Amino acid sequence: MIKTKVTISNKLGLHARPSSKLAEVCSKFDAEIWIKNDRKKINAKNMMDILMLASGYKSQIEILIDGEDEQAAMKEIKILFTNRFGEES
Amino acid sequence: MHTFNVHGVAASSGIAIGKVQVVSNAFLEVQHYKIKKADLDNEKNRLSQAIALVKKDLKNIKKDINQKSSSDFSSFIDIHLMMLEDKNFSFYPQEIIKSEQCNAEWAIKTQLDLVISKFDAIDDPYIKERKLDVTQVAERLIKILLGHQHKKNAQKNPFSTILVAHDISPADALQFKNHNYAAFITEHGGTNSHTAILARGLAIPSIVAVKNARKLIKNNDLVIVDGDSGLAIINPNDQILKEYEYKKNLWEVEYKKLLKIKNVKSTTLNNHVISLMANIEDLGDIKSVLESKAAGVGLFRTEFLFMNRDDLPGEEEQFETYKSIALSMKSKPVVIRTLDSGADKATAADTIQATNPALGLRAIRLCLSHPHFFLIQLKAILRASAFGNIKILIPMLSSLGELKQVKMLIKRAKDNLLSDAINFDKNIEVGGMIEIPAVAINAEAFARDLDFLSIGTNDLIQYTLAIDRTDDSVSHLYNALHPAVLKLISNTINAGKKYGKEVAICGEMAGDPKLTKLLIGMGLTNFSMHPASILAVKKKILESDSSKLKNHAIKLLRLSDAEKIETLIQKINQ
Repeated sequence: MIKTKVTISNKLGLHARPSSKLAEVCSKFDAEIWIKNDRKKINAKNMMDILMLASGYKSQIEILIDGEDEQAAMKEIKILFTNRFGEES
Repeated sequence: MHTFNVHGVAASSGIAIGKVQVVSNAFLEVQHYKIKKADLDNEKNRLSQAIALVKKDLKNIKKDINQKSSSDFSSFIDIHLMMLEDKNFSFYPQEIIKSEQCNAEWAIKTQLDLVISKFDAIDDPYIKERKLDVTQVAERLIKILLGHQHKKNAQKNPFSTILVAHDISPADALQFKNHNYAAFITEHGGTNSHTAILARGLAIPSIVAVKNARKLIKNNDLVIVDGDSGLAIINPNDQILKEYEYKKNLWEVEYKKLLKIKNVKSTTLNNHVISLMANIEDLGDIKSVLESKAAGVGLFRTEFLFMNRDDLPGEEEQFETYKSIALSMKSKPVVIRTLDSGADKATAADTIQATNPALGLRAIRLCLSHPHFFLIQLKAILRASAFGNIKILIPMLSSLGELKQVKMLIKRAKDNLLSDAINFDKNIEVGGMIEIPAVAINAEAFARDLDFLSIGTNDLIQYTLAIDRTDDSVSHLYNALHPAVLKLISNTINAGKKYGKEVAICGEMAGDPKLTKLLIGMGLTNFSMHPASILAVKKKILESDSSKLKNHAIKLLRLSDAEKIETLIQKINQ
């Protein structure tokens, strides 16, 4: 199990498009992937769960990954966040 | 079966007997029915097939869009596709079908309600908005499901349908016109909420503010609705049923009597002509206006052109609508009110949610803050004025400064048309709504600067008494006969007389036959109401002697006790 904290850096937060992109990427991996904030922990392969986590701009979330391909998964997920899901900052 | 009564606020008179259909706002068509255990797998299959079909549709749309570019829209469709695959659509509704033994549409709706309530709890306004996407996906699914509904499940019953809902919004109301409901029961609202106004307009008996109606009353319950006392009897026994069938017949006989005065001229006993006009919301209402023999359209609420859509209607679309109305009314007057959105009537023009919308950027304030958009409407109205007897009515004026700005914009619209050599009525009359107490107090200045005045009693009462008429916890305090309200109305009528300008009432008071005689006594000669109320009001006019009523009204306006006013009104009506 590996985990890391990220800060949401795109202005609109984890809205519909980033949520679906994140879920899409997570679904490629066999590892179990969760996202956690101060209120709840959800399955990151579920687009609507990510959306309903309502992570706004500058809020912090934690990504937890457990499985054989966890390193590869973390690498790709981090890229998504660093690139702000291809949106403006 | 267990008989019981529920009480609410009587909102629209008459008696109806029928079977209940419980609905939620967004999905009026969705009915609930039980599925036999043996058929549950079929029902689950029906849902899976519907999901597959919607996916196919979306993919086709996406292909179509990709050919015409615009990646934004296509990612939007990806999101909808992803939502369909999400367990909120692909898994939980299946579970609901199994556990509740209900139909697929109901399962989707149940799950949607749950998801929406989660979204409503989100603070982030942008993410909160995404509940619209979820709703759209659910709507697509439900449409497919309804289209493919097995014939054997379609309900047919000999009774008419009574609608039980949380509330009926103005947007729902437009859809209701095509249904033939026998009665409405809602959990929310007061005698002046939209449900009530709609119900009276359609002459459908209704009760509002019935707490927990959707929990207490079940689909297919047999219900008697008594819209005069606010009582609903659920699963009545035969004796009660017979009694109410008799009452219902009596009521219908009374209604038929009214039809006899349809072609009678609207004059008082002492030969004063009273003008009875109709309020309309869209082109489809014209038919009932012509049938009611109204003297014209006293209020066309243009905001309904702007509702239930994501974009704004352009100049051509507006022009065509206004022109059609003007043409079908021939030379009779058609008063077109410019956009009165905001507060309880949201349109695509409203972008920001104000903390107190009734006091916020709405109606003419909204239009003046978007002059380019307002000019489009003004030009459309002016162009249509070449085809009939059109007048412009400005809502929510609060100061002469605003009026000045409006007049400047009307002049600019006229200048634009002149330079393009487009025809319009150069002497088009411009009137103002009197609905803010400040303006009613200062009515003389507005009577001087405008061609006519129209009193919007619903808002005038709301603003005078500080009562939100849609809030059922205070709606009992909403009182059209409050002495302050009557003084404001009287002041406005007198201001019009002084400057020789016509004054009309276009709010709910105009259509209430209990108040007709009082208003005639106060000097009102122009009433505008829903076409369905015209006959009942005309009956009162035919019984009125305006010179005698004037003395009653003078006496009544001196009273400051609302109860004494009520007693005197009863005496006037005897």
